Amino acid sequence: MNLVKSHDTHQESGEDNADALSQYLSFQIKGESYAIGILSIREIIQYGRVTSVPMMPDFIHGVINLRGAVVPVIDLARRFGKSATQINRRTCVVLIELPNEGGENETQLLGLLVDTVNEVVDIPPEAVLPPPAFGSRIRSDFILGMGKLADDFIIVLNVPRILSRGDMEWVNQLDHSALKADAN
Amino acid sequence: MSLSDALPTFLAEARGLLEAMETALGVLDGNPNDTGAINSLFRAAHTIKGSAGLFGLDHIVDFTHEMESVLDRVRDGALSLNSSRIELMLLCRDHIDRLLEVVEIGSEPDEALLTQGEELTARLRQDLPASAASPSDPIHWAPVTGDDPVRNLGSDPTEGDTLWHLSLRFGRDVLRHGMDPLSFIHYLNTLGEVRQVYTVTDALPPAEEMDPESCYLGFEIRLHSEADKQCIEDVFDFVREESQIRILPPGAHFPQFLALMQAVPEDNHRLGEILVGCGAITERELEHMLDAQARQKSDASPTSAPRLGEALVQEERIQPELVGAALRRQQEVRRRQAQESRLLRVRADKLDSLIDLVGELVIAGAGLQAQVQGQGDTALHESAQEIARLVDGIRDGAMNLRLVEIGETFSRFGRVVRDVSRETGKDIALRIEGAETELDKTVVERLADPLTHLVRNAIDHGIESPEIRQARSKPSQGQLHLGARHEAGSVVIEIMDDGGGLDRERILAKAKERGLLPSDAEPDDAEVWNLIFEPGFSTAQSVSNLSGRGVGMDVVKQAIDALRGGIEIESSPGQGSTFRIRLPLSLAIIDGFRVSVSGNEYVVPLDMVLECMEMPRDLTEGETPHLNLRGDVLPLLPLGAFFGLPKASVTRRNIVVVQWGGRSAGLLVDELQGQLQAVIKPLGPLFKGLPGISGSTILGSGEVALVLDVPGLLERVVSVDSASYLQ
Repeated sequence: MNLVKSHDTHQESGEDNADALSQYLSFQIKGESYAIGILSIREIIQYGRVTSVPMMPDFIHGVINLRGAVVPVIDLARRFGKSATQINRRTCVVLIELPNEGGENETQLLGLLVDTVNEVVDIPPEAVLPPPAFGSRIRSDFILGMGKLADDFIIVLNVPRILSRGDMEWVNQLDHSALKADAN
Repeated sequence: MSLSDALPTFLAEARGLLEAMETALGVLDGNPNDTGAINSLFRAAHTIKGSAGLFGLDHIVDFTHEMESVLDRVRDGALSLNSSRIELMLLCRDHIDRLLEVVEIGSEPDEALLTQGEELTARLRQDLPASAASPSDPIHWAPVTGDDPVRNLGSDPTEGDTLWHLSLRFGRDVLRHGMDPLSFIHYLNTLGEVRQVYTVTDALPPAEEMDPESCYLGFEIRLHSEADKQCIEDVFDFVREESQIRILPPGAHFPQFLALMQAVPEDNHRLGEILVGCGAITERELEHMLDAQARQKSDASPTSAPRLGEALVQEERIQPELVGAALRRQQEVRRRQAQESRLLRVRADKLDSLIDLVGELVIAGAGLQAQVQGQGDTALHESAQEIARLVDGIRDGAMNLRLVEIGETFSRFGRVVRDVSRETGKDIALRIEGAETELDKTVVERLADPLTHLVRNAIDHGIESPEIRQARSKPSQGQLHLGARHEAGSVVIEIMDDGGGLDRERILAKAKERGLLPSDAEPDDAEVWNLIFEPGFSTAQSVSNLSGRGVGMDVVKQAIDALRGGIEIESSPGQGSTFRIRLPLSLAIIDGFRVSVSGNEYVVPLDMVLECMEMPRDLTEGETPHLNLRGDVLPLLPLGAFFGLPKASVTRRNIVVVQWGGRSAGLLVDELQGQLQAVIKPLGPLFKGLPGISGSTILGSGEVALVLDVPGLLERVVSVDSASYLQ
């Protein structure tokens, strides 16, 4: 499970950042292909040992231990409003680094639960088309653009939007409802 | 390393020195003659000046120079630190602080700051003579002048002790060299008044052997003089070579010598230097004695030479009391230096990375334990036990490195109390207890703001003005008590005042007005007091410039919650209030107790666990989650239901009784898994505000377990209870 790594070394051996900018990792969720820009990806690990956190929105799958750091894992399928990801042999966690909202230079490490990791694809900037106004299977604000491949389109995800702070307000609302539910 | 790299170090050091200054000024406020404090004040100013010079920060150098000049005069006894000078020094301290801030952001001081500096400088200059002596002179031991007690003693009728004793044995040849002993004695009268002359004629030979051109006379002279020893000795400059001149200082000068001894810079810790430094002996005497000592050493075996102090007394150059005092001072200085050198400054991030590593070690150790337990190998088991024991030790040691005494933070409040009581016209005494209580450095740092707020509150709203206090027949001086102590695995910090107490009716009225409570609610005191932690809650009828600094009680509570602590209030009308903050001992690594609920593992901080028991069979979970625990009602919290977990089929469930801050409750769990060391890992911003969970830890298996927030859970138990009562 080291797809990215091999591409990384390939990258270092000659090509520069401009090329990396047009490289995307493609993966599958519920049979659908999605892509994320490769620069925000830190590593890909096999699924295992996730601790669930109570009273969180269902798309927060839990936390994992990444060499001593506790990293939250997001179930993208749930986030997209589908049923929870079925864990199997090929389930992976894609670890991405996001600039921390509020913090200046800090980054936040997050894991994305995906069904299968496919490959790294080159999509030149001119081949990334704006997201369709309607007709897509997920919320259009989650889509950064549609990447044009040889014979198909792939959805390029707007990761910061998917994991924006707006979702965290959820937790506080929940706090109160849980209390009320308990009191009744 | 370039100078600019060293700038942060300078700033940190200077801030430390400013803190020392403030502490010293606090001491001097109570005891203006504390030479130790005066010295540390002077040293702080001097060091800041010196280091600022290194960085070319001329405005700081110039300013501290003036401050230092005044302090130098204080140190010499020419000025006394009355309260207005202390006030001025505090202002100067603040000014330096602001100058440092300007340096930190890399800009130049603005107009307002410069004007302020000039004003302060002008005020400082008032205390300096027209031609201010440069303070960078080598320390000069100017004779004490002005309203010095020694001078006043001169007119004291019992002046036996105020007289110098001069013992003169003129050399045989002084007359031949054209010196007349009598003229010296006459000359002494220009320094003071010769009260008594006793002529020593023991050396007179029989008349037939006497040489009229030789001098055989000696004199014992009692002299009243304000000159110092050096001056008196200088009188005999021309005859010193051939004569024996001994000058004993008056007994009345002893206190002065002792005071000066304290003032001798601490890098001088040789006996002779201390004695010269305070003026008890002169440089010349010291040289003479050291020469003699050296000669004796080379003559005889090296050990037989008398020590300097003994020799001085033998030669009657100084009284034994002074030598004794100087020796004590010498030892004190040595001890202090030894203590200073035992402290080591370490960068905080180095320490943090060590603690992180220790954390990993603890986790890895737990993993090893789990592996070993499955094997039947006794030897392996024993080795693993030994390693576990050492890891425990390392963990405790590493955590100890981070502990600092809270006293430093407390003593800062001396200033706050002083300032605020001045602003409000109140008379308040600050009493500090348990300053030696140790706390994690991070905790202490993050406590400073909430504590300041509570102290200001106590002074501003708690303690009444002297008039009201008198009307209520209380002493007009208010008491503010700051205390810290360890208590059952936590640290308790108390801020106690003897003021008017919280106004229950007003808080209740305000809460009902704001809809925080139903209008017919009659909550108990503790609940009422807790209302003041609601955001934006204020019963102050007028806003003084003390309140309205942007920190409310809700922020205090948030800060303490963030430290996994709690705060409670006790208050009785007319008697005063107590704010009690309870904090866990450590933030990073704790002893934990592992439980499982519906297949999920949770960790309870062990110092909050009272006991564990099986759930009684006859207890039905349901409407009344309470347990009769040896006659007490123990509220129960079914964790699984609280967290919304699916119910697991367990034959027998367990209860973990937890306590915090005087409250206890039973947590209903499935299985008890035993003790472990837990390295607390923050859960990150995504999980902020998650109720009942304070963090996470990594188990020996590599899995993540969540750490329960016991104070938070207990609060929930209580609030759920009261909510159901209200219905």
